Formats: sequence, structure tokens, C-alpha cells
Amino acid sequence: MIDVGIPVGMRSAGEPTDVIAAAAAGDLRAFEQLYRQFSPRVFGLCLRLTGQREAAEDCTQESFVSAWRALRGFEQRSRFSTWLHRIAVRTVLARRRGLRVEYEVGEPAAGLPEVADPSADGMPLDLERAIAALPEGARHVLVLVGIYGFSHAEAAAALGTAEGTCKAQLHRARGLLAAALGLVEP
Amino acid sequence: MTDSAQESSPQSLDAQLARLPLDIAPPERVWPHIAARLAPSPRRTRPLMLAAAAAVVGACVASALTWSVLRGRPAPDAPQSARHSPGLDEPRDPHYFAARAALESDFRQRLALLDPATRVKIESSLAVIRQAHEDIRKALASDPASPVLEELWQSTWHDELHLYESVVQATQSTLTRT
Repeated sequence: MIDVGIPVGMRSAGEPTDVIAAAAAGDLRAFEQLYRQFSPRVFGLCLRLTGQREAAEDCTQESFVSAWRALRGFEQRSRFSTWLHRIAVRTVLARRRGLRVEYEVGEPAAGLPEVADPSADGMPLDLERAIAALPEGARHVLVLVGIYGFSHAEAAAALGTAEGTCKAQLHRARGLLAAALGLVEP
Repeated sequence: MTDSAQESSPQSLDAQLARLPLDIAPPERVWPHIAARLAPSPRRTRPLMLAAAAAVVGACVASALTWSVLRGRPAPDAPQSARHSPGLDEPRDPHYFAARAALESDFRQRLALLDPATRVKIESSLAVIRQAHEDIRKALASDPASPVLEELWQSTWHDELHLYESVVQATQSTLTRT
């Protein structure tokens, strides 16, 4: 498997190696500390990949349950956050395969108003909605590469697709977004 | 669309994408769901116990079949004799391991005296017993305080010993004649 390294958007300050070790040894309180520290990034990733809040909650839950079960085998050769985010991407993709119909009929931007509050920090809510409304393949690549800093090789490995496909999907996503936001005439 | 518009739009889009927060706090209700799934519960223990019990049944059947093959008669109700072998009642006792190693050595030598078909059956039974032992060991790792699992774990040790003893005893006459 390709080593996806540490995507820019996935980099974080020092990792709590003692807490990780304690959690790996079965300490649930230590694992809760890890959850408190890392869940916002995981939830953000899941929310943008799925475009649905309820699905993102489920995927976040599944990701941490999977992480707990696999933690004993985590050898800290990569960063914990990188390892955890890979689990999250895999979880979203697995759920997508199982619930494809639901995703296709669901409203893409459901729940996002709770996420983005433009009055609070100037976050472009329209952009969030436009991202959620993107076709699935384009959205996944845009989220991983355009927002969370994966390289095309990293995103392709995570999504199980070709790097060229990844680039094409990003190009498509950017075009659709620009059109949706009025940056380019459709 | 002008060239400048084509160039500036992606940059503008990049700028907007860069402003998106990477972290979004999940609802408070998510962690309790996770914690409930991770906390050990009696439900989790039950399948392990059942698996362990199934493993022991398999080991006993294997041991009994071996008995039957070697004696040429129906299997006894339960292969309990090794459990009462003097000095071999405690699997964690160093003397136990020494005695067991000696018995296994004898077993390997005597096994070679048997015909190939019987050897295959015995090796197969031994594999079943050892697999049962390993399954129970894993169950014990998840629930180390379980007295039932501990008992089952010890019983597979004894089943293995019993199989060794059976082979040694069954080949005793062959060895004497030669």
C-alpha cells in the first residue's frame, strides 16, 4: 500500500504518545482523551465526505470503534492522527457502498446549517452547501485534496482510484464549485 | 470569460477553501454511543464462553476418538484419566511442563510405531485439541477473571496429556515385542 504520509490538513501539534499507549493497553479513559482531541478533525472530514450530518455522526462513531479495536496493533510508525484519518476515510467509503441508495436520494446539504455559521467567523456557508451538493466522486477528491491537503497520490490510495481519475475529479469539482458560487459563468 | 477571470477564479476558490475550518466538533451524543460499544459487558463475554465451550467439546471428541482408534473399541464417556495423573494437575507448575515435555517426547517416538492411517488420525486429534487450547487462551485474554474459562483451559491441557498417554500405553506391547 502507498504510504500516504501526513497530508497538510491532517498535521497537528504533538501527539500524546503516553495517552495513545495507555489507550492501546485498554484504558478507555485514555481513549476518551484521544477522542476529545481528534474527533473534531474526524467529524469534519466525515461530514464533508458524506455531506450529511447523521451519516457523519455514524461514520465518526464507527471510525473510533474501529480505531479502538485496532489500536493494539498500531505501532506508531505513522502519526496516530494520520492512521485515524485513514480509518475515517475507509469507514465513509464502506458506508457509502452499503447505503448507496440512501445517499443518492438524500438531500446533500442536510444538516450543514448547523456546521457553518457565517455570522460567527465569516465562513462561507454557500461554499459548504455547494461542496455538499457536488457529485460524490468529485466531492471526495475535493474534500481530501482541496480541503484536507492530501496529495493526489494520497487521495487516490485512500479512495482506491487512479491518480489520473483523482485529478480529473478535482478539476470537475472546481469547475462545478466555481459555477455554483458565480465565480465563473456556467 | 477572460484569461484573468479564468486565472483568478481558481485562486479565489482556493482562498475560500483555505478558509474552511478543518475541525468541526461532533455532537456530544457521539461519545456515549462509542463508550457504550467499547465498555466490556456480559454480552461480550457470552460468545467467548460459548466458543470456548465449543472448543472443549471439540477437544474432548478428538481425545475420545483417539482413544477409540487406539483401543479398537467404543470411546469412553470422558477422557479423564490424565487429570488424575500424579504430579500433572497444575499446568503452570514447572514440574508439570518438564513431565509433559518428557511425555510428548515419548509420544513422538511411539507415534512412529503406528501405521500411517492411525498416525494421521492421532495427529488430527492433537491439532483439534491444540486449536481448542488456543481458542480458550484467547478467550481468557479477554476475560482473565473467568473461573469457567480457566477450568476449560486446563482441561485442554489434560486432554493433550491424555492423548500422549494413550499412544504411549497402546504402543507399549509393540515396543516390548521388538
